Amino acid sequence: MTVGQASHRHPVVIFSRNNRRVKRIREDIGVDDSVLAAIDVDHLQVSYGSQQVLHGVSLSVAPGEFIAILGSSGCGKTTLLRTIAGFQKASGGAIRLYGQDVVNMPPEKRGMAMMFQSYALWPHMTVLGNVGYGLRLRGVPKDEIRSRVAAVLKMLNLSGLEDRKVTNLSGGQRQRVALGRALAIEPKILLLDEPLSNLDAKVRIQLRSEIKSLQSRLGFTAIHVTHDREEAMTMADRIVVMDAGRIAQVGAPKEVYDRPNSPFVASFMGADNTIGLDVRPSGGGVEVSTDNGSTAFYGGEVPVGSLTAYFRDDVASLDDPNARVDGSIILPGKITQRTYPGGHYRYVVAIGDRHFTVTDDRYHDVDRPVGMRLPLASLHLFPQAQSTGGNHA
Amino acid sequence: MAKPSFLGLLLIAPALIMIGALFLYPLGFSLAAAFTEPGGGLSLTHFQKAYELYSTDILFTLFIVVVSTLLTGLFSIVIAGILTLSETPWLIATLRNLYRWPLFIPFIVAAQCMRTFLAKNGLMNNSFVALGLMEPIQTTSFLDWRGIIITFVWKQVPFVTLMLAGAMASIDRATIEAGRNLGASRLRVLVELVLPQVAQTLLVGLVLSFVTMLSVLSVPMMVAGSQPTMLTVDMAFRINSYGDYATANALGVISYFMAGTVAWIYLRHNVKREVQA
Repeated sequence: MTVGQASHRHPVVIFSRNNRRVKRIREDIGVDDSVLAAIDVDHLQVSYGSQQVLHGVSLSVAPGEFIAILGSSGCGKTTLLRTIAGFQKASGGAIRLYGQDVVNMPPEKRGMAMMFQSYALWPHMTVLGNVGYGLRLRGVPKDEIRSRVAAVLKMLNLSGLEDRKVTNLSGGQRQRVALGRALAIEPKILLLDEPLSNLDAKVRIQLRSEIKSLQSRLGFTAIHVTHDREEAMTMADRIVVMDAGRIAQVGAPKEVYDRPNSPFVASFMGADNTIGLDVRPSGGGVEVSTDNGSTAFYGGEVPVGSLTAYFRDDVASLDDPNARVDGSIILPGKITQRTYPGGHYRYVVAIGDRHFTVTDDRYHDVDRPVGMRLPLASLHLFPQAQSTGGNHA
Repeated sequence: MAKPSFLGLLLIAPALIMIGALFLYPLGFSLAAAFTEPGGGLSLTHFQKAYELYSTDILFTLFIVVVSTLLTGLFSIVIAGILTLSETPWLIATLRNLYRWPLFIPFIVAAQCMRTFLAKNGLMNNSFVALGLMEPIQTTSFLDWRGIIITFVWKQVPFVTLMLAGAMASIDRATIEAGRNLGASRLRVLVELVLPQVAQTLLVGLVLSFVTMLSVLSVPMMVAGSQPTMLTVDMAFRINSYGDYATANALGVISYFMAGTVAWIYLRHNVKREVQA
């Protein structure tokens, strides 16, 4: 029995509680999934011709977990998702769904549902036709399709649109229909391929929370590919940051945000200001100094040697150029630009020949000498790379 | 613009004159001739004669063209479907390289090839015999209605496939993947999800093929030759042997009528879509 056929033998309500549903899945599969991962990607390799795109990616997703795969364009995140769905052939490694290797299984046998960036609704069908198609494929009788589609549409606030052509719907409604189409078959695994990136900001945030709450209500496992950091942070239980066909870091959103394990992840998570620091042991702590002579004493634990510090705009603040604050390094500079994006001011501060963006609540005059204060505890420190510094953004 | 530009009219004048002189005038003339008695009055005498002499051929023509159009549609869907949905690279590459060849072969050459291929002792039967699939005594000639249909289909499939495969390539690939993802086999994806999205293109291709096949003279003349035959052959015969333009024109009007019917179906479908959009 394939994973996909399981659900139609038990056309139970969609509104089952999280744990009940997981239990049902366990019974269907006949395994104890506290041991088995819902999705287990094992040293997966994918190539387009001679160009290798995924270099042995390993990832284990627990049942009911929401994973976001985050990365810049071309990092292989979509390829990973498409390989899990079966649209892209793997050149090595394994993909196991609840213990069953599906690497050579065609996509229609894998029993997952997917949402696409372009919605991918069938323009020649009505809303009912689109949402009910998966059920029709599973041989569900017409009347039951109608009632189950109605239940799904109600859940998505689309009631009464059954007989509307999908081409007559707004973007947000279309993507809701696509979500309904995916959820109608009660999938155990939902794959999301940047489904929100074509929507306008307001609808995007609304759908974000709808998907998240449906996921915790229905208990499906979800993998969400996105390049939107905030979207990944707010939706996912765990974030996977990918870089050049490899996983750079996996962890809870807060962990990845606060403790990036590499300069790439730090910079991807928004810490794209860099500064070179020299750290030497001194007394009970370390003495931190910069190229232009600013020094500070710090009692916390930091690596020693030539380091590059990565920090976000909101970590730095503005202070007096001659101030000395424990645990913070102060770099004297000059404000060259001030903008007000709302809520706080954003300054560009010139320090030597480099420019940094700093967010500060207070109003300061442009061209004023100022000290950029960096609390050492909030900096991400990595051994010196050939980074040129300044603002990467 | 307040008044039509004289220069603009001058620019399109050569084209207009060409259409008028080479197409509209002969068309109107032949239409009028079909409905005019030898004495000069309006009558349907020529149609009566055409019907008495060629009613079988009218039905035969309709049968050949309809069957050929349906088969062309079927084969084009299969080839375009494979080109779009197959996951076997060598199959796609082979088909893609082969299917267009007949497009560049004129009907008369195609007919000539089919004569040697489909004859009683032609290449096809000889191959079957050599392969042991058939005894020499069982061989039959395909040089009759079947030959015409085979030639037409062979010649028109590439054209319709070219249009259809292009249309299939331009639909959102994700709509195909969404279907497979939900559990549809490739055949169901083709029939239920891809074809409805390219139906318009298929219809255009088939209408154009229908009209083309209706007007081909060389194929029925060379491949089948004997009775019954297609209207084009009858028209040529009326003119070449008897100088009987009137009956030939009447047959021509019957051809227009057939072509007009499919054109009407196409236009009606088009209008319906535009109203919906």
